[in-house]
Amino acid sequence: MSYDEELSVKMVSRNLKKIKIMKYMYTLLVLVCCFFVVNSSALAVSGPTEQLKPTLKSLVDILLDPSLKGEAHKVERRAKIMGHVTKGFDFREMSQRVVGKEWKDLPQEKQDHFQALFTKLLENAYIGKFENYSGQEIQYTGERLKDDRAIVSTQIENNGQLMPVDYIMTKKEDRWMVYDINIEGVSLVRNYMEQFKSILRRDKFDGLVKLLEEKNSTLE
Amino acid sequence: MSKKRTTFLLFLALMAGSVWVAQANELSPDASLLIDEGGGNLDEFFVEEEAGDPLESMNRFFFEVNDRLYFWILKPVNTAYTTVVPLDFRQCFGNFFDNIASPIWVVNNLLQGKFAGAGIDLSRFLINSTVGVLGLGDPALQSFGIKPKPEDFGQTLGTWGVGEGPYLCLPLLGPSTLRDSVGFAGDALSHPIAYIDITYLDAVAYYTTNKVNLLSLHPGLYEDMKRYSLDPYISMRQVYLEYRRNKVLDRDGRKNILNEL
Repeated sequence: MSYDEELSVKMVSRNLKKIKIMKYMYTLLVLVCCFFVVNSSALAVSGPTEQLKPTLKSLVDILLDPSLKGEAHKVERRAKIMGHVTKGFDFREMSQRVVGKEWKDLPQEKQDHFQALFTKLLENAYIGKFENYSGQEIQYTGERLKDDRAIVSTQIENNGQLMPVDYIMTKKEDRWMVYDINIEGVSLVRNYMEQFKSILRRDKFDGLVKLLEEKNSTLE
Repeated sequence: MSKKRTTFLLFLALMAGSVWVAQANELSPDASLLIDEGGGNLDEFFVEEEAGDPLESMNRFFFEVNDRLYFWILKPVNTAYTTVVPLDFRQCFGNFFDNIASPIWVVNNLLQGKFAGAGIDLSRFLINSTVGVLGLGDPALQSFGIKPKPEDFGQTLGTWGVGEGPYLCLPLLGPSTLRDSVGFAGDALSHPIAYIDITYLDAVAYYTTNKVNLLSLHPGLYEDMKRYSLDPYISMRQVYLEYRRNKVLDRDGRKNILNEL
């Protein structure tokens, strides 16, 4: 092989290498682009705070709506609120939690009935607290994330003092849903769970349902 | 003198009992919200934990007694008090009671090694006792933005690792645990008004006025709790225990946990 020939072979192989590198670069670029596309679509599924905000916003808007104020509009107001709240609050999960291990063995219609009763009770207990709301700002003070669970901390002024309200959320099919509310560090669902535990032991599930029905009728 | 010695002995006995109970009844320190609240995995969640309430029947009895006393005495008294004394005055009295108690907070902050907290409460006490006219106002908060860091002896004992012991519903005093009862006794003995020459009756009057005033600033709390619960006794127990556990772990400042992450 002459020197010229040798040189041209070297050149070709070098060019080939260059082309190979270019190809690599190109693939990498495509991959990076793909990653960004995927990532931005992942960003479209927003975090727990962003998903909680509109739910609480609609709650607040309805409570401030002058055409819905007062005892006369209570039923209409509550219905509207619950329409929004059920999108962001997982009452199924809450019901399951307060009943405990027995839940799995209950037939579907009993589960549904219980969920309806417990939702009604929580509606009174939780929304009742906001009933005399007069436009205080809800401050979002923080967010903690761990796997598919999150705590979103808020503060709201109540009787001149800041009341911390934490929303405990879980991710269900890309949607963050509230499954417990913590007011001043005290869990609402946990509180009912403890109460129901001894009732379930004593009166069984049907007894608990009866007690819930009675309780709800006194809150009407 | 002998009265004081008896109180002290009683205090010691309670303390000893509480330490003993602490070993028997360990509080899970790992009650972090996320870990505690089982979530998706049902079996993990369905582990039943018994609340430490071996004295439930006695507690329920006193809960009933307190409930009657609330509706027969406390509520009518409170209604009258609220009508006669305007809100501004009641808030001032609230400040006054808090200010007198704040040297106890300083001591308990120190006992827990929270020197910053002790400094804050001490400066609040100095500012409010002088500029705040005997503590009736709260210029420390309003003008200087210094928030109080209340710590009581029950919390101090908790920080030292003393377990809470059995839950107690005390006549007149309401929900407590063995540890917090000891704490209450300790705080009562170290309260500044205990060093003024007063009778037990005066002390009781002071305590009652404080409580009535406090209730007047947070109306309807007890009745709401009763209204929305199926078993008010358990609801109150749960609220008390959770609230106190958070206090001992300093979870009341939500920002603390967030900063730790």
